[in-house]
Amino acid sequence: MAVVRAIWGMARNDLAVWLRSPAAMAAALFPALGMGVLVAVLTNSVGQQPVALVVQGQGRMATRMAKTILADVDAYLLTQMTAAEAEDALGDQRVAGIIVIPEDFDRRLSTETASVDLYLNNIDIDLADDIRRSVTRSVAEFDAPQLGLLGELHGPSKGALLPNPYRVAVAEHDLRDTNVSFLQYQVIPIIVLIVISIGLLGTALLTARDFERGTAKMIVLSPVGRIPLVLGRLLGGTLITVALVTPLVVLGFTTHYIPYCAEESSAPLWVNIVLSGPCGWMLPVPTWTHALALIGLLLAVTLMTVGLGTLLGVALRDARLVTMTGLNGAVYLFFLGGGFTTVAFLPDWIQIVSRFVPTRYAIDGLRQALFYPDLINFERDILVLCSCAIVSVVLAAVMLTRAWKRA
Amino acid sequence: MSVARVFRASAALEFAQLKTSRAFVALTALAAVSFLVMVSLFGLTGAYAPVALIDLDGGPHAKRLVDALLGAHHSFALKYMSAEEAEVRLHSGRLVGILTIPAGFSANVDNGVTVPLDIRIDNVNVDMTNDVQRALPAAIVAFGRGGGFPGIRTRMVEHDVMPKDTGYIPYLVVSALALDALVIAGILGAMATAREFEYGTVKLLRLSPASQAAVLAGKLVVAGTVAAGALGIALACIVFVYGVVPIAPVTTVCTLLACVAIFTCIGAWVGALLKRTLAAVPLLFGLAMPLYVDSGALEPTRFDGETIWIIAHASPVYYAVGALEWAFHGLRVTPEPIYVDLLVLVAIAIASAVFTLGRLSKGGSR
Repeated sequence: MAVVRAIWGMARNDLAVWLRSPAAMAAALFPALGMGVLVAVLTNSVGQQPVALVVQGQGRMATRMAKTILADVDAYLLTQMTAAEAEDALGDQRVAGIIVIPEDFDRRLSTETASVDLYLNNIDIDLADDIRRSVTRSVAEFDAPQLGLLGELHGPSKGALLPNPYRVAVAEHDLRDTNVSFLQYQVIPIIVLIVISIGLLGTALLTARDFERGTAKMIVLSPVGRIPLVLGRLLGGTLITVALVTPLVVLGFTTHYIPYCAEESSAPLWVNIVLSGPCGWMLPVPTWTHALALIGLLLAVTLMTVGLGTLLGVALRDARLVTMTGLNGAVYLFFLGGGFTTVAFLPDWIQIVSRFVPTRYAIDGLRQALFYPDLINFERDILVLCSCAIVSVVLAAVMLTRAWKRA
Repeated sequence: MSVARVFRASAALEFAQLKTSRAFVALTALAAVSFLVMVSLFGLTGAYAPVALIDLDGGPHAKRLVDALLGAHHSFALKYMSAEEAEVRLHSGRLVGILTIPAGFSANVDNGVTVPLDIRIDNVNVDMTNDVQRALPAAIVAFGRGGGFPGIRTRMVEHDVMPKDTGYIPYLVVSALALDALVIAGILGAMATAREFEYGTVKLLRLSPASQAAVLAGKLVVAGTVAAGALGIALACIVFVYGVVPIAPVTTVCTLLACVAIFTCIGAWVGALLKRTLAAVPLLFGLAMPLYVDSGALEPTRFDGETIWIIAHASPVYYAVGALEWAFHGLRVTPEPIYVDLLVLVAIAIASAVFTLGRLSKGGSR
């Protein structure tokens, strides 16, 4: 009983110290929240680009072409302008490109030589390719309506195939009913980053602090023995992480109920921008098996990071070094694990490196648990994370015991 | 005591203190290189979606279609594999889709029959899904035009503003230099002032008859010089590892030095404001990412909408990215002229230095 009380006492003390250290909380939370804001801003950047449409042709076909382009609201943020206005807008960077349906569009159509001109600010390849793909699709739709988005989704895949001059159509079959937004998809690594930041930095700072302030010596003199205190430190780090991460994850599930998060929200733009972060979470409510998997994965990551944090604190024993090392480490763990990236997109050698990054298994597992109907590879993910957690916790306990003994 | 002597003494002291924090400085420099690596990883995911290709035809038109897919605006990284393996990979998030060219594809195309191309997409992420949905028609158009099939009446003719596209990673790493400058110079600047509060020496500074501006200048010049050295490593990485060479080297160096000066001053102000290195470092780290993205780092900020563009003007990184992208690639990513970007950067540096002096004076009296 005394041992349990000692463990709990140490954990409670760490919790209290941490809550009284706003700088430590900031160290753990700011970078992760910064990443969260970044994702929210990125969401505005991906997908649609502002483009001007100039319709010079007055014929029936030119009008049809314009309607086809205007209908593709998923691809562009289109504004119809005169040629002079569009040129000004391109120069002022209000638009990234100008689509021009020329005056002779109808006439040249009969000789199969009609064209739609795209004046493109090809400032970088990502932006330029997005617009090229979209305009090509819109132009293709003119002769082959099924090459449009609706055709891809509801044409040949539903058994309705219309002949087209390109002689190829697309039968798209989606793996799932609903699409997950870019923000939702990237929220998973953010959650993992928050766990890493708090677990790793929080515990590392507490451990380093003991050495900096000389309180490690007092711990050594405690009559309860070192093992309960070491366990208390690990429990404290775990509780701190759980206490801060749980409300954030719960918030992720409750954002469905924020009134201004609805797509047709009539709130002012700045309100929508401010809310874009929390609104974007909208984590789908999982089944109970997936919920258990989610909890298991988060606990395993928490334990692993707490162990690593303790090791870092023992190794460096300096709060500033701990902060910088922890932040650097968290950035690598985040990106190589699939934060803001999809590991499958990366070169083979990075994919091999990422196999040795435990956060990859956490991110993969969490995405699987939240967004996929089955739990493929869950056993592998949880096994890797639990193994890492056990190794880091055992190592941390041994190293901390030894370090306190020598303090 | 002459201002020059105070400046020299302060610089020497700051240098000595930085020498005792070599590991911290090294970690700060490491953070600079880390950011470059990380934005590169992000850049890699902007294109070449991994898609499994199952070619059940193998005929000449299938081969042409594959070529068209590979040429479709850097959209697909086609991977050949069995249907079973593709299925497993698709369900575990390692593929965006499975594209199947059906048996008899070439024969049907020769006979003028429209062939449905089956694609199973893991539509877990709307951005990836959109890219694939848009890229497939682009590939089909290239295929159709390449075959010279009759009935294709219209085409897209592209006129580019720039003579050539700038690669996404070369674009990103240049803007990452501005992020590096913010993080490195900001942290070292913050450490220089926060340390005075942490050690309680700010009171001595206040009581000293020496000019506070000279003391601060001495500290910040050393912090800035060390930051410039670390930024030099990042710059060398960009030039020699990434092979991105600035078209205007002098402007590049001047802009980077201006960035170092500005962000050192801003960091010093943050350090004097928070009075603790431990609080200033994560704040600068945390601010760096959103400031970076809302600065034209990924594309000109105005393309993200007027509101975001207006907000971006409050960030010095916006002007820094504007100047750097111009110096490296000759790109204009801000509607404002480059000289305006540079002037604003200088104005921010002066304002930060003044604010820092103000904070140091106030801090000493408490």
